[in-house]
This record gives sequence, C-alpha cells and structure tokens, in this order.
Amino acid sequence: MPDATHKILRFRDVTVCYGRTAALQQITLDIPCGSSTAILGRNGAGKSTLLRAILGWHSLATGEILLGDAHPQHVLPRLAYLPQRQSIDWDFPITVRAVVEQGRFPSLKLCQRLGARDHAIVNRALDELGITEFASRQIRMLSGGQQQRVFLARALAQGADIFLLDEPFAGLDLFATEELSHILRAWETQGRTVLASMHEIDLTRQVFTQGVLLDTTLIASGPIARVLSPENIDRAYRQGRCVHDNPLHLARTTEFPR
Amino acid sequence: MSPHDFFITPFSYGFMQRGLLSAVLLSLSGGLLGCILVLRRLALMGDALSHSLLPGIGIAWLIFGPSTTALFVGALIAGLLTALGSAFLSRLTRVKEDAAFGSLFIIFFAGGIALISKLPTRLDLTHFLFGSVLGVSMPDLQLAAAVSTATVVTFIVFFRSILLETFDPIFHRATGGRGGLVHFCFLALTVLNLVAALQTMGIVLALGLFLLPAVSAYLWCDHFNRMLLLSVAFALVGSVAGILLSYHAGLASGASIVLCLGAVFFISALISPHHGIISRMAKLVSRSPGEKSPFA
Repeated sequence: MPDATHKILRFRDVTVCYGRTAALQQITLDIPCGSSTAILGRNGAGKSTLLRAILGWHSLATGEILLGDAHPQHVLPRLAYLPQRQSIDWDFPITVRAVVEQGRFPSLKLCQRLGARDHAIVNRALDELGITEFASRQIRMLSGGQQQRVFLARALAQGADIFLLDEPFAGLDLFATEELSHILRAWETQGRTVLASMHEIDLTRQVFTQGVLLDTTLIASGPIARVLSPENIDRAYRQGRCVHDNPLHLARTTEFPR
Repeated sequence: MSPHDFFITPFSYGFMQRGLLSAVLLSLSGGLLGCILVLRRLALMGDALSHSLLPGIGIAWLIFGPSTTALFVGALIAGLLTALGSAFLSRLTRVKEDAAFGSLFIIFFAGGIALISKLPTRLDLTHFLFGSVLGVSMPDLQLAAAVSTATVVTFIVFFRSILLETFDPIFHRATGGRGGLVHFCFLALTVLNLVAALQTMGIVLALGLFLLPAVSAYLWCDHFNRMLLLSVAFALVGSVAGILLSYHAGLASGASIVLCLGAVFFISALISPHHGIISRMAKLVSRSPGEKSPFA
C-alpha cells in the first residue's frame, strides 16, 4: 500500500534551469518514507540535478521541494549526500576513522572537540559497515568496496535519515557491487530512506523497490517493476540522442523477478 | 669556529634578529598554508599568484614611496585582481582556469618589471624579486607578526571547515558549509603571506617557504593534522638553517632558505618510509613481474 505510507520528500512542479536549458521540468513527485528509490534516465536527464536540488544547490525556476513540512536547506542535518567516487583524492593524508569523524563535524560548534558521544557514534558507524579493523589505515589502502563503505559510514555518523547517493555503484567491481546491494537492502528494512541515481537497469531492479524515471520531465514514478516497464524505458531512453539501434536490448528481452 | 660563533654571534646584529624573527613567523603560517596548496593541487597557482604581485608593488612605490602599508595594499590588490580576473575569464570565455591564470600572471609580471625598470627612483629590482634579509624593517616585522597570527588563528578556529573544504568540498557544501567563503579566505591569506614574505624571500622565492615544507611533510604523514605540524616544523628548521647559511656563506637569504628546504624535500622524497623513492623501488623489486608497477 504505497499510498498509505508517509511521504517524506515532496516535489511540487519543480523546474530547474541551467541558463536557458531546462534540466528538470515541472517534476511533481512523492518519495515514500523508508523506501529505497532509484533515479534513472539517460545522461543529462536530470538525475544528479534532482539530488542536488534537494540539497538546495540549484535555485528552482518554479515549484518547491519539501522535506516533511520544511524546505530541505533548513533541515540539512537530516540529509546525507554521498558524492561520486572520483571526486575524492585517495592519496589525501587521512585515515578511515578521520573520514568517518567528519560526519560529526556539522553538529559541532566552532572549536568544540569531538565528545564521548561523538566517538561512540563513529564507532557504531564503523562497526555497522564492518570497517572497524581498517579504521587506522590511510584511505588508499582499501579496496573499492571498502572505500565506498567508509563514505557510507560517514553518512551514518551524520545521524541523517535520508541518504542521497550519486552513482553509488559507479566503478565498483562485482564483489563490491554485491556488498553495496546488500547494505542498501538492509538499510531499507531498517527504515532508512535512500535516494540514488543509477545507470544499470538490471541492478536497479534487484536493489531498489521504488523508481523514478526522468527525461528532464517525469516519465514515471512508483514501484520499480511498474516504472521500469519496457514502454517507459523506451520513452525515457529512445527520445534521447542515443545512436545505438537498441541499447537496452538486454533489459527488454530478459525476464526479471518482480 | 665554535658553535657559539656559528649559531649565536650572527644574531647579535639587529637586522639578523629581525630577519630571523620574520622568517620564523612566516614559517608558522607558510607551513600551514602550503599544506592546503599541495593537497588542493594549487601549487603552481600559488607560484603564479606570487609573480602577479609585482605590478601592485611597483605602482604603490610610484605613488606612495617605500611605505610598507602601501606596498602591502598594492600587492594585495594585484593578487586579488589576478585571482578574480582568471576566475572571470574562465567563466566568460572558452579558456580554462589554469590557462587564464597563467596568461594573467605573466602579463602582470611583465607589467611589473616594465614599471619598476622605468621608475624614477633608484630601486633595485633584484631586491623585490629575490629578497634580502637586510631589508626587514620594524614595520615589515609587525606586518609579518600580524599576518602570521591571523593565519594561525584562522587555522585553529576553522580547522574543520578547512579540512572538509580541502578533502571533500562537495560534502562540505552538502552539510551547509560555505565553501566559497573558505576558498576566498584561503586565497586572501595566501596573498597576505606572500606579501609579508616579500622582504626576506622575494617575490620569486616566497612560495618556496610555503610549498617545500608542505610537500616534504606530505611524503611522511598519513594524518592531516600531523602533516600540518610537520610542515611547520620543516619550515622553521629550513628558514633558520637558511638564514645561518646566508650569513656565513654570504648568499641571498631567500635563495639559501629555499635551498635548505629543498634539501629537506629531496631527502624526504628519497627516504620516506612509505611514499619515498627507495621504499617504492624496494617494493617494485620484491614484486612478482606480473604485478602492476606503482610507477605505471
């Protein structure tokens, strides 16, 4: 009964423009509380723009975004944003623990040191993602999947309840992908709200229960199986500048479990 | 020569005391700023920025004469014009920011040299380019003290914002941090420190006092705060050694400070236990031939 659940994020007629180009057009959309939602669409469809609009990084040309009853910019501590992997300098002189501790920074006052409670939260986050044993390593000394978990742990340490992930699966190998899928599914059962931009349709079906399909306008939203119907995928991807004959051949001909 | 003659006697002269004090003060702030320059990959931009200060100094000299405040303000304006100008150029044209910066600084530098070579007063260009420990006056020392204090206090108070903005600006912004403000303050502090280091180090070499200790510390540390502290320590050792070298060997002070810091850097690059040449070579030799080389 998706309609009976509480809507944590609400988009009302949201339009975002870069100069004269509209990156998002008149999006009206509800994200149910405690769901894991994938945002899909071709390159330039507005996936990242949607995530960043929630953080208040783009001024909206029309409409509004509400988190509960507030504008998200005023409740930033509730949001955790995970940037793309390639934006991090892995040679930075910093340990795993120090990265996770950064999650506590926003809730500290100027010059205030991390207290016992903060350390407890950091330890719990390290523990939950199974990286306690690497805590004193420099971040380059980890595998791709472990590195991803460090940043998920930082997001947990923030104490946020809504997680915005920008391409979380990009650049992960098979094992790390499996690992992250497992974590995200576990988060959903724990009632955490996850919103992630995704590229791979097969993987999306396996990990997420809700979907949003974009092509600057909203193509479809709701339960993932309904959103990723062949017709919707066609509408979202075919109208783009795609030159391949049928780039989604696999997705259209294979049977997937609901 | 007894140790006393070597270490203490030089500082019985007032100008040496002022030179030493100025170098020590600027080591504190330069060591800190240098780390951010290195970690944000702004090392070359810092170099460009320091060159671009010259016309500001020239014009200030032309109008106000040898007043420390005027030189300082002139250099500050020139530095900010270069930084803002290249930001504008890269946004309004096809030119990328590094090319814009490179072009602007060389134009500014040429302008400065042209200006100073035509100045009516008898002004030694090399003094500005390479610095002289003899030239540190009392107002210069006060300026160095003020700038150094401001930098150290900023680093202590805003340590977490600086760390976040350097390591992960996107996260900093997503948690409500004001990245633009931090970046601007950082640029302003860099220009202030470059100007304050002008007398001892000179325009061309001032950046060495910031950059070399930081890049040496980067080779030793896997913790951000330890890197900051080690960088300051290297800067202190290098500048004191450099001033002694300059006194005993009769070298230009800026050059000898940079040479001492350069020695620290080369030694670090060679023998650093994890990131140095020797340890990497050793790992390379002990690897099986099929494995990927760290130099690939």
